[in-house]
Amino acid sequence: MIEFIDVHKAFGSNVVLAGVTVTVHPGQVVFIIGKSGAGKSVLVKHLLGLIRPDSGVIRFEGQDITGFTEKDFYPLRKRCAMVFQHSTLFDSMSLVENVALPLRKHKGMGHAESLKAAREKLALVQMDRLADRAPADIGDGLRKRVAIARALTLDPEYVVFDEPTTGLDPVNAVRVDRLIRQLADELGVTSIVVSHDLRSIFGVADRVVMLYHGKVLLDGTPAEFKASDNPIIHQFVNGLPEGPMEL
Amino acid sequence: MMGILRQVWQQTTSTIRVGQQTLHYTLRARWHWPTINQQMFLIGNKSLVFTILTLGFLGAIMSLQAGFQALRIIGDTSLIGQQMLPLLVRQLGPTLVGLMVATRVGTGIAAEIGSMVVTEQVDALRMCNAPPVDYLVKPRFIACVLMLPVLTIFGIASAFLAGMAIAATVFNTNPAVFANTDFVNLLDLIEGMTKALAFGIVIPIIAGASGLDARGGSQGVGDATTRAVVNSSLAVIVLDFVIGGLAFLVRV
Repeated sequence: MIEFIDVHKAFGSNVVLAGVTVTVHPGQVVFIIGKSGAGKSVLVKHLLGLIRPDSGVIRFEGQDITGFTEKDFYPLRKRCAMVFQHSTLFDSMSLVENVALPLRKHKGMGHAESLKAAREKLALVQMDRLADRAPADIGDGLRKRVAIARALTLDPEYVVFDEPTTGLDPVNAVRVDRLIRQLADELGVTSIVVSHDLRSIFGVADRVVMLYHGKVLLDGTPAEFKASDNPIIHQFVNGLPEGPMEL
Repeated sequence: MMGILRQVWQQTTSTIRVGQQTLHYTLRARWHWPTINQQMFLIGNKSLVFTILTLGFLGAIMSLQAGFQALRIIGDTSLIGQQMLPLLVRQLGPTLVGLMVATRVGTGIAAEIGSMVVTEQVDALRMCNAPPVDYLVKPRFIACVLMLPVLTIFGIASAFLAGMAIAATVFNTNPAVFANTDFVNLLDLIEGMTKALAFGIVIPIIAGASGLDARGGSQGVGDATTRAVVNSSLAVIVLDFVIGGLAFLVRV
């Protein structure tokens, strides 16, 4: 179980999180939604130690990880992977080397062995035929698939997806949604998905958490989210340009 | 005023932290030679033509100006070479090469690492159990430490040979007379190489810290690049003064 308890975070005078409390139960697919700049990515990065809170507590499987050092986070990052918003493949490496890196660094695998395992992971996302290409040689959608393969290469128990379908064509977006659901249903992987994509939310999510003004506005099932009479949520669900939601 | 002081303090502590981590990983972690070799090529070989040309023209200018002055005052140009060589070995050679590396290599390091920070590639490295300082700064640090003395030697040789050619063609000074090494001793060589080594240590650390501190988008990368070249050039000048002062104390 992952718990964010009363987490506060500000960058200078810009308060991003003003006391967020969210609990993620094992095996669930939880969508964190909200308008751009609502602090969704900032919140999930706290779990992995990529951003540190100003105050509040973060617990991972009951253990308080708030005061963890960078070194303390490495075992956690082996169990909890992240797919970044812009794929973030390393330009200086081929696709297969990108996927092999966590195997070498986390598991201490040799070069040849890690490349072999990485090719197998790339095959899962139908990218093995392009394994030796450079990230710059392929499009955004394909890069996203490689980033997913890299995140799954260590068989993590938890995966954080930061806007996994943004920039993808509808077919690939559905494939990614299906993959997230399969990971939860078949392997029991817990997923936290930062997204704006309403179609994904209603097809994949077990729970939806909406952030607004640095706080949790709603925490419930997709059905509760859709049926909410809160005017801000109503505006968000229906994508209305006019309404109470501030820019 | 407080804002500027806070900024200086943040940059200083960040640079010290990156410096400590770089030394830690250099002494404790495995060296990945293919990456280090690649960086040595980028930092050393790719800077060679720039260094030789700049120092060569500088040596030619020095020889020309010193020759005119010598002719005007004492009417003899035979002392140009023996006065020029210690100056190049102790002072101008390492300092100018240091400034050129700070400009050419320091900006490159800050821009590359800064771009990786703003595109979350550094966070992705951390997720892969690859500490950014170990993975990004350390190879550049080792390459700079190894290549800066080499570039300095080439730079000094280039300046001296260009000065010799000018003295021979313009003032008819015999090259054998110009190449008088009587005024250069072991301490001069140690001083020059110590400076080169010190510059090779501080430039990648300052540039790496500037890159890792980049925030925001392309403007953040631009700011990091500017910080890298300003701070590393300043560090070169300050270290030049400190090491030169210590060498002076040793001599007296």
